[in-house]
Amino acid sequence: MKADYIIKRIAFAIVTVFIAVTLNFVLFRAVPGDAVSALRCRQCTVQFKEIERRELGLDRPLYQQYLLYIGNLLHGDMGRSLRTQQSVLTELWPDIWNTVPMIALGTLFSIVFGIIVGVLSAWRRDTFTDKAGLYTALGFYSMPTQWLGLLMVLFVASAVGLPTSGIKDPTLGVLTTPSFATVAADRLKHMVLPALTLGLVLYGEYALIVRSAMLETLGEDYILTARAKGLKTLTIVRTHGFRNALLPIVTLVALSLGFIIGGAITIEYVFSYPGIGLATVEAIDQRDWPTLQAIFLLLTLSVIFFNLIADLLYVKLDPRVVEE
Amino acid sequence: MIEPYLQVRDLHVWFDLQGGRSLHAVQGIGFDLGAGERMGLIGESGCGKTTAILALMGLLPPSASVAGSIVLGGREILAGGEESMRQHRWRDVAMVFQGAMNAFNPVRRIVDQIVEPMELHEVAEGKAAERRARELLELVGIPAARARSYPHEFSGGMRQRAAIAMALACNPKVLLADEPTTALDVMIQAQVLELLVGLTAELDLSLLLVTHDLLIVAQVCERAAVMYAGTVAEAGAMETLFHDPRHPYTRMLFGAAPDLYGRGDVVSIPGTPPRLDREIVGCPFAPRCDSAFDPCRVVTPETLAVGPAHLARCHLNDPSVRSAS
Amino acid sequence: MSGTPPTALAEDAALHETVTTRSRFRFLRSPALRKPATIVGLCVLVAFVLIAIFAPWLEPYDPRAKTGAVFEPPSAAHWLGTDDSGADMLSLIIAGSRVSLIVGFAAAFVAMIIGGTVGLASGFFGGRTDNVLMRITDYVLVIPDIPLMIVIAALFGRRLGNIILIIGIIYWTSTARLVRAQAKSVRERTYVKRVRAVGAGNNRLIWRHILPQVTPLIIANTVLMVAIAIFAETYITFLGLGDPSLISWGKLIENAFRGDAVLNGAWWAIVPPGVCVALVVLACTMLGQSMEDALNPRLRVGHVSVRRFRVLPAPLGDRAARDAAIHAEASKASKGSKGSKREKAAP
Repeated sequence: MKADYIIKRIAFAIVTVFIAVTLNFVLFRAVPGDAVSALRCRQCTVQFKEIERRELGLDRPLYQQYLLYIGNLLHGDMGRSLRTQQSVLTELWPDIWNTVPMIALGTLFSIVFGIIVGVLSAWRRDTFTDKAGLYTALGFYSMPTQWLGLLMVLFVASAVGLPTSGIKDPTLGVLTTPSFATVAADRLKHMVLPALTLGLVLYGEYALIVRSAMLETLGEDYILTARAKGLKTLTIVRTHGFRNALLPIVTLVALSLGFIIGGAITIEYVFSYPGIGLATVEAIDQRDWPTLQAIFLLLTLSVIFFNLIADLLYVKLDPRVVEE
Repeated sequence: MIEPYLQVRDLHVWFDLQGGRSLHAVQGIGFDLGAGERMGLIGESGCGKTTAILALMGLLPPSASVAGSIVLGGREILAGGEESMRQHRWRDVAMVFQGAMNAFNPVRRIVDQIVEPMELHEVAEGKAAERRARELLELVGIPAARARSYPHEFSGGMRQRAAIAMALACNPKVLLADEPTTALDVMIQAQVLELLVGLTAELDLSLLLVTHDLLIVAQVCERAAVMYAGTVAEAGAMETLFHDPRHPYTRMLFGAAPDLYGRGDVVSIPGTPPRLDREIVGCPFAPRCDSAFDPCRVVTPETLAVGPAHLARCHLNDPSVRSAS
Repeated sequence: MSGTPPTALAEDAALHETVTTRSRFRFLRSPALRKPATIVGLCVLVAFVLIAIFAPWLEPYDPRAKTGAVFEPPSAAHWLGTDDSGADMLSLIIAGSRVSLIVGFAAAFVAMIIGGTVGLASGFFGGRTDNVLMRITDYVLVIPDIPLMIVIAALFGRRLGNIILIIGIIYWTSTARLVRAQAKSVRERTYVKRVRAVGAGNNRLIWRHILPQVTPLIIANTVLMVAIAIFAETYITFLGLGDPSLISWGKLIENAFRGDAVLNGAWWAIVPPGVCVALVVLACTMLGQSMEDALNPRLRVGHVSVRRFRVLPAPLGDRAARDAAIHAEASKASKGSKGSKREKAAP
């Protein structure tokens, strides 16, 4: 039965991937004009665009284009950037590796603090602690991410002496070869503010999710049973309350991935952080559709992947899920 | 007569309501429960019976205020508040809840949930505790091989049996059962009740059974207290209550239940119980009573002994009130 | 039904009564809507709507004209200073409220229509229809919303109408799920079954019986959706995908960023638009949440609390003395619990 469930979830993920790929194809073919006509760059002459069209197969019937697109994807070919003529994946690879640690740091921050505050808030419902936690979370949840980023640059960066743009100090390594530790510290320094911005906005969302999941759980009959058994409040909150509240939390966190990624895009733009988000903004500015298409596909695939992970995690967390 | 194991005296529970009002859910009830005795607490929903036993466990919500005295094995336990009552929970007084379906945490194994209170109250630990949990499951008729199941893998009846096994984990002296069979179908109901009766005899356990179902009480209990509007209207042996009810509510309630032998009409009691968020003047049952007379609406009746171990709270039993009117 | 006292049956019937007559706007009387947070949320929202409606009369200057120096700090003439083109910030904020709120309400409306239709169809017809529609919803739910929005806006966007449609098309899923659940439960209610047995057609059932029951929930959900839509607009606009000819709060944040307000230390060009977005989002969230709580009081009483029940000294038998004691204890406790309203009247 467990295997059944796992197979079902994997099948769902595969179908979703297929739908995402198709959606990706359809969207970029449905553009007014075509994928090339809007391109804006120096070498983009009419002749250049004509060649590009032929290369992309835009002169062929749609179904052939679709098969070509899928065939290329199966070979790991996500197309070439119209602007640089490089393979999109090669172009984006370093960006991805710049973004991942930043998002990871921010998400880690938000999950840790979101859980602590959410649990405390639910446990101490209607007390000062609860209200303070709830309203801080609501406050961060309501702020536009990019705006919080601007506030960080404006008020926090100078106060704590952290860099506000880029990913490394341009003077580093010009005269001397810096040690690994120096480079790492420099990277971390550039990562702190973007990650903190993302972390704070997500913290708001997660604290609210955790609080309401905990409140729901603490009203369950088995919590009363646990109390009747003589368990201490702290034990109940830990072993029965939080353990069970984890179920809705995992689902909701997995579903909020689109939001994380969206936040990351604007944050990278604010902090000129050379990751996948900044690449998105550049692709939009230059109407470089193959790059945008590849980015969207990559983001979608990663969200589908993490949702699958959450589904599989459920097997461990909830014995009932396998039955359904 | 031996000292009863559990003595409840003049127990009151109030709940805070919004707007500065309060609800007087339990209005001074009292009863004794001897070792190995099976007693029923009967009443319509909303009469305060569940609140009363939650008070015995110290499981009331923070909006509640309690007063009165609960003496367990010779020691007063209410005065110390929740913390002192926590030590008695499950070790001296255990409970089987109404919604057996949800009494178990769905993500933990049955056996772990039975072991949990044993380790907490230092009854048994580790392997020994697990062995004991399996024995208890066998005792209530669940094969020990199923011990490592999750709650959702059990049927309703099995879950209720497992809940009883869990209640027995720490060798309690008193078992409180709140509508233990409402959610079950009739066949299973009978089995679970039989099990409860068998266990009390076997383990010298006192049972306090809370229900609105007279047939269940008749099947299980030797004695019963009939609750109405937060008070005990009448208390006595089941026999006496059936054949010689001294409170009109008891009489009408038993009239409302289908006769054991299928005879007689089902009589329903017209009207609804009084609201408990207001002061009740006179007898709370007076508006619905078929034998009420003038003092009933003005004077609150006293609880009187109307026979050996038979109490009733009705002016009909008080010659001084009757003669005055 | 052996032995169930008829009174319990009566109570059951009364319960059904409250469930079925809990229709339409009865929920407005719920205590969840009388919380201060709800009222504050409503007031803030109404205030912003009024500002948006009367914007042209409230703006002290023409928001598109240069009426001061570049990045002029707040002064008596310009309460919120000026932006990178010397336009008055206060006028811009007031003008921006219009577009932001229009996007918010219109996109929420689109989401409500799509989500409401899908949810109603799914919940009411059930079976195959339900399966197919919910499967589609599941897939849409997994596609990351903001990136999809960005892509669609980049490919087709740049006009207000498009942006509204895009946001609406992406955020209908949660409405659909909620409405489906509600429609399903309404369909199963006795009186709907009775109406069906009498011979009412699907059309009549949906319009006369199901929809009115579902409407309050849809409204609550729409209020929540307004917040999300306003938020989404700031994202799209910030990435340069907004309508270039219109002033919105998102556009003002973008302007502040592109116009180097940060480098100039012009906090007055950055802070106010974000504060407005945050206030409206907060107001909608609190209001929508309270409405949902009022409709679906799903948050049960917690079984775990930091506070404990009170044990009153019991001068047995002496009623007056005990009432006095309750009063004293209760007022003590109410002082202890940080101003929550827990006064107890003497019984």
